[in-house]
Amino acid sequence: MKLFLKFDFNTISKKILESKFNELNLEYKIVGFGEVELLKNLTSEEYDALKDSFNDYGIKIVENEKSILVQKIKDALIDMVFNEDTNVNVKSSVYLSEKLGHSYGYLSNLFSEVTYSSIENFMIIQKIEYSKQLLLNTDLTLTEIAFKLNYSSVAHLSTQFKNTTGITPSAFQRIIFKRRDIAQQKTK
Amino acid sequence: MDSKNVFKSVLFLRIVLLMGLFIILVIGGFTYKHISDLTKSTKIVISTYEVNVELEHINSYLSNAESGHRKYILTKDTSYLEPYFDARKNINSSFLQLKKLTIVNAKQQENLAVLNNLIDKLFTNFSKTDALVKNDEISTESFKTQLFEEKIILDSIRKQVSEIIDLENKLLNERQKEYQSDLKFTPLFFYLVLLVTLLIIIIAFSKINTDLLKIKAKNDQLLIFKESTNQSEIIGKHGNWVWHIDSNIFTYSDNFFRLLGEEPQSFEANFDNFLKFVHPEDVDRLAKELDKMIKNEELPFVSYRIVQKNGTTKYLKAYAKAFYSADGQKRLLGITSDITDEIESFLVLEQRNLELEHNNEELSEFTYVASHDLQEPLRKIQTFISRLEEKESKNISSTGLQYLERINVAVTRMRLLIDDLLQFSRTNKPDKEFVVTDLNDLLEFATQDLAEIISEKKAIITSAILPKVSVIPFQIQQMFLNLLSNSLKYSKNDTAPIINIEYTKIKAKEDIHLNNAVKSSYHKITFLDNGIGFEQKYVDQIFELFSRLHDKEEYSGTGVGLSICKKIVDNHQGFIFAESELHVGAIFTIYLPE
Amino acid sequence: MQNEYIYLILADDDKDDRLFFTDAFSELKINTKVNTFNDGVELMNYLNKEDSLMPNVLFLDLNMPKKTGIECLIEIKANTKMSGIAIVIYSTSASEEDIEKTFVLGANIYIKKPDSFKKLKKVLSEVVSINWQYHTNSLNKDNFLLRL
Repeated sequence: MKLFLKFDFNTISKKILESKFNELNLEYKIVGFGEVELLKNLTSEEYDALKDSFNDYGIKIVENEKSILVQKIKDALIDMVFNEDTNVNVKSSVYLSEKLGHSYGYLSNLFSEVTYSSIENFMIIQKIEYSKQLLLNTDLTLTEIAFKLNYSSVAHLSTQFKNTTGITPSAFQRIIFKRRDIAQQKTK
Repeated sequence: MDSKNVFKSVLFLRIVLLMGLFIILVIGGFTYKHISDLTKSTKIVISTYEVNVELEHINSYLSNAESGHRKYILTKDTSYLEPYFDARKNINSSFLQLKKLTIVNAKQQENLAVLNNLIDKLFTNFSKTDALVKNDEISTESFKTQLFEEKIILDSIRKQVSEIIDLENKLLNERQKEYQSDLKFTPLFFYLVLLVTLLIIIIAFSKINTDLLKIKAKNDQLLIFKESTNQSEIIGKHGNWVWHIDSNIFTYSDNFFRLLGEEPQSFEANFDNFLKFVHPEDVDRLAKELDKMIKNEELPFVSYRIVQKNGTTKYLKAYAKAFYSADGQKRLLGITSDITDEIESFLVLEQRNLELEHNNEELSEFTYVASHDLQEPLRKIQTFISRLEEKESKNISSTGLQYLERINVAVTRMRLLIDDLLQFSRTNKPDKEFVVTDLNDLLEFATQDLAEIISEKKAIITSAILPKVSVIPFQIQQMFLNLLSNSLKYSKNDTAPIINIEYTKIKAKEDIHLNNAVKSSYHKITFLDNGIGFEQKYVDQIFELFSRLHDKEEYSGTGVGLSICKKIVDNHQGFIFAESELHVGAIFTIYLPE
Repeated sequence: MQNEYIYLILADDDKDDRLFFTDAFSELKINTKVNTFNDGVELMNYLNKEDSLMPNVLFLDLNMPKKTGIECLIEIKANTKMSGIAIVIYSTSASEEDIEKTFVLGANIYIKKPDSFKKLKKVLSEVVSINWQYHTNSLNKDNFLLRL
């Protein structure tokens, strides 16, 4: 007797990951194919155990100093944008090199090499994302948002928003509200 | 006269009637009393007179008795004693009569008793004297005394009688006086009462008279009203009807018959006769609606068809409302109108609308084809040119490359023209909704769209606070955008553009621009810039489609932007005007109806 | 990003446009796999098949025979299996109404097909890059709107 099998590797890998993480009692989130986010930092013992148990299935944890550092840069930048306690007046370059202990030039090059985009660009995207959240979820006017995000003027934010997204803040707000209306009508 | 006044008037007349009746009763009572008083006083006179007569009788009987008695004494003939015995009998009967007559008066009774005693005494004396005569003792002393006593008694009797008469007369006088004083006021009283009665009757009469006059005037008005209702029913093609629900009786107005195609009042108004005219397909529905009318007591508009005897179908529309008369009878008051003309013109309109919709669909299809299918080959030409320039530039001569560049410019311009034309035709679409919108927001959005060029040119835009107006928001935003980008485009090379937006609310009659305005007041929004401006003589051209005052090499553009502004303002039933001085700046003034 | 590829699908009835699209990605130094379909029906047949690999980014032409881009968009948004796909509207026309309508229906990116190959390459690389940003930085995809 012969059996012909068809595999869905995606599902298989996912199942294996689930069982291994559950075995070690780790809370996790599968972010994408080949990328897992753990909800807490691992101790070196846990890390080694995870590495060993993955080994049996031919799964290897990609150990890349560079990507880890890039992640640290991202975390620092996100913290800078979203955390209101962080002193927004400090230049991002100064803030980064002080926090991560590398020169800004090194970090900037590394970031571009790994992500194909620049720290500045990343920073802008984060700020625009934050302004989107504020536009949708608060009653703040665009002027107030510009002030909150340390833009020199509302026109500056407006321009950067339009340059980044291709649409004006008001059109963005209108579109998302319309979407929500439609979603609400459907659930009714 | 309204119902309240009628009620008042009726109440008034009732009160007058009751008062009249009461007065007549009072007068009757008084009359009866007075007549019985008069009778009483007559009776008293009569009884006094009778008393006197009886007393006279007694006197005369006594005289007879005395004279008989004397004759007997002189002649001793006993036959003379007969009147004497008769007198005694008559006196007794008179006495009884007297007693009866004076029964009410104690004093007279007393007097009568005294008189009776005296008479008895006299007759006792007469008997003693008679006995002496019989024995012939006439000349004796005792006989003389006897006679003397007789004389004294007789005198006392006469005295007593005159006393009784005096008293009776005195009583009579007193009573007469009493009744006379009563009777003296009676005529005056009657007269006054009669006067009052007469006055009340006159007031009642005048009241009835004025009421009658009022009723007559109202009747005249009712007649006029009825006639004008008739007229209006004929002209307005409607008729009215009343349905007395409890008795199931109908009344139709004349024109209701005419609506059914019949002569006024030419058949009995009832439900079955009416149903004969209703279109067979509508009978059931109409019956249901009528049931609803009765239940709900009010039903706006039932439509149904009728077929007249000559075969013409008419569309009727009925409206009914319940009405309770004063006696609690329920009635349904209805109005039925002939809406055949309306329905027919509506059908025509619907047909036209369908055609129009069809045309619009074709137009928007064309728009889409123009936007998409015409653009696509152009874009491909551009892309292929870019590929040629990129990949094959080594194999093409420099002249060839120049030609390619010219082709590219021409194609780009054609795409721009198609885009602008499309935008212009979109502003033509009729199905735009008017929404009350804050114009400040729309200006803000337009500025956001231009944020890049504004910061590039370092333009300064200032605006007054704009009002909230009912507009097609997207179009007004487009207009603001076009006006602002126009000012930014035609700015002076060496000066940063300054655009100032002003606002006032004005009355149409206060502005020379608004001579032909339909509305009475307008929002006036003015855009002033410090750009290159234009010569005032071109002012009429600038709103024309594809008209340009500048070389397209110098200032890019298709000449559609301001035409779109004009179109948008027209869509809002507003006005747009431009004025300018070359090298100084331009002013665009927009009027939007309030 | 190093060892993985990004899976892209384009549905467009125009042969030239499909050619420009594949050419552009072959010239870009991004690790992609591109699949094209000639109309909306073909596309939906593929997506609805159980074993089909879902693309990271789907480019939809609006004006296609049989099934338009809008119809595809509505079907895809109603299907939870396809909810992770970033949807790019890829059209010749760019009327404000079309743009707003597709965004409201759930499109993430609206591209007006550029008029030169150079611009096309730039735009496509931008799309892939921004999509990667959203993907790797776990940004809120509900707020992902981009007009190029």
